[in-house]
Amino acid sequence: MDLFNNIILGFSVAGTPINLGFALIGCLVGTLIGVLPGIGPVATVAMLLPLTFYLEPVSGLIMLAGIFYGAQYGGSTTAILVNLPGETSSVVTCIDGHQMARQGRAGAALAVAALGSFFAGTVSTLLIALFSPPLAKVGQSFGAPEYFSLMVLGLISAVVLAHGSVVKAVAMMVFGLLLGLVGTDGNTGGQRFTFGLITLADGIGFVPVAVGVFGVGEIIANLMAPEEKRSIVMEKISNLWPTMAEFHQAWPAVIRGTALGSILGVLPGGGATLSSFAAYVFEKKIAKDPSRFGRGAIEGVAGPESANNAGAQTSFIPMLTLGIPGNAVMALMIGALTIHGIQPGPQVMTERPTLFWGMVASMWIGNLMLVIINLPLIGIWVQLLKVPYRLLYLAILLFCAIGVYSVNNNAFEVVLTAMFGVLGYIFLKLDCEPAPMLLGFILGPMMEENLRRAMRISSGDPMIFINRPISLGLLIAAALLLIIVALPGVRSKREEAFQEN
Amino acid sequence: MTDQATPRRDWLGTLQRKNVLAGLMFMSVALLGLFLSRNYPLGTILRMGTGYVPRLLCWVLLALGAAVTLVGALGADDRFSEDGSPWRSLLFVPLSLICFALTAESLGLVIASASLVIVGALAGRHMRIVEVAVTAVVLSAVCVAIFIWGLALPIAIWPEW
Repeated sequence: MDLFNNIILGFSVAGTPINLGFALIGCLVGTLIGVLPGIGPVATVAMLLPLTFYLEPVSGLIMLAGIFYGAQYGGSTTAILVNLPGETSSVVTCIDGHQMARQGRAGAALAVAALGSFFAGTVSTLLIALFSPPLAKVGQSFGAPEYFSLMVLGLISAVVLAHGSVVKAVAMMVFGLLLGLVGTDGNTGGQRFTFGLITLADGIGFVPVAVGVFGVGEIIANLMAPEEKRSIVMEKISNLWPTMAEFHQAWPAVIRGTALGSILGVLPGGGATLSSFAAYVFEKKIAKDPSRFGRGAIEGVAGPESANNAGAQTSFIPMLTLGIPGNAVMALMIGALTIHGIQPGPQVMTERPTLFWGMVASMWIGNLMLVIINLPLIGIWVQLLKVPYRLLYLAILLFCAIGVYSVNNNAFEVVLTAMFGVLGYIFLKLDCEPAPMLLGFILGPMMEENLRRAMRISSGDPMIFINRPISLGLLIAAALLLIIVALPGVRSKREEAFQEN
Repeated sequence: MTDQATPRRDWLGTLQRKNVLAGLMFMSVALLGLFLSRNYPLGTILRMGTGYVPRLLCWVLLALGAAVTLVGALGADDRFSEDGSPWRSLLFVPLSLICFALTAESLGLVIASASLVIVGALAGRHMRIVEVAVTAVVLSAVCVAIFIWGLALPIAIWPEW
């Protein structure tokens, strides 16, 4: 059995003390940033990316992955106890989770969130192991035109699944594509948009862009908002176990959330946040008595929390098998691979089986660690919330600066980060979703390269994208997505899903 | 057009709408791009030159920006609410990073970290001097411990005389 051998191989890689150690570090950091509001996984992964230079590629990826799914666990803790989402993917957990805490059922809510996440993590790890090899096979038959169309589909889905206006999201994506082209043109050697600066000849690094837009921009915006009072519900966490009745209510929601999250995670542009919102709306729709929601319905915690973890993990599938990032964190993972000289794409699985399967196995181990980190140690994490934001943001800012600086020991990149921080703040203020921009930024050079290759194959005939069946199918899918989202009915539903709060 | 009844539109108000501003931002980026790339060789579709894809994208962005502006001007009023004076954090947060950038190479990690914390603290509203000083010392020490002793990053700790 191939799968069985592969999983054994994976566990033998992930189970080495050093990789277990990095999985633990990743999970701890992930929980930390999940608990702390004001810093998300995108900025953290971007900040810590430079440090993975010094590690084996497997260890680095294991750690970065741990941060991403660890943040989903940690985010629920603050949502339930403090009514403050540590992550955007936990926004909906606040609604019923905090109500449960107020009713003295905080322990049950936390346990359901953690166990639901663990179940979702286990299932989605299995899904990755099952579906990645066939998908990578499909990917290996792809030529330049198919890759180009696939990236178009990826970008379009990122746009469709972004908040707010679709036109704005498309514009952000094009803006990102343009930013990605800054630097030396790999084909002609010509300089583009470099303003004559030598440091820009290699292009804009994605670490300054990601840290600036997602980290620094957020800080600027947070500092303007009045500091909210945090009322921590700490009284009744003594009883961690849900009652039998609660358990019976919760488990079907966990399964539904896992299924929904697994599907939405694979879609480009999907991932944790979308999954949790969708799961909450879904639970409310199918509930016999929807009025219980908002007053401490346990399904409102179980569904979204399982979904966000499942979504976070299955979003690795397109990244690992096709080299196409579905969301901003995956885009950074692509960056991490290229830093180590690994060309992302379907060949990763066959050429570096230890990397692929080691990472998959580490996800399951990491999920197990997270249950332990979260449940018994919950008191410690809550203590961290007592650090006031006026001190916290200084620490975040400093880590951002050092993280960016250490990529190339280049002070100019820190200045760039400051500039992108201002830009990120402007985006926030103008309701421009930055995720499509980052995706465009990462994909820009790859798309241009594949476009050029496709044109060389077809001797300059753009019809090649339509004449090749797989490419045509991908483009039709992209067009359908755009048409569907433009339909008035779907549009209002989409707004509703994003504004359930 | 939409409102013939009110001949004098509130132009300044329209200009403050989120969508209008966003559209104008996209258009100015596109125009800047078109200006910068005016001399880039275009090439043909078969052999694309340096400027082919960038100029194409700039035109697309210009069109999208115009669309966003138009939607904003004709659509619902979505002016953003004022929240205090944005200038404090908008000025000092980036400035603190620039201070770090200017000092890290020549003056070492400790001074760079401390200067980032001090300048960054000006962005907040409720800062006490003692608190800032303690934070600066503690964070600098933590960073030296993690990044230089722990991870052996090639950054100097102190200024090199």
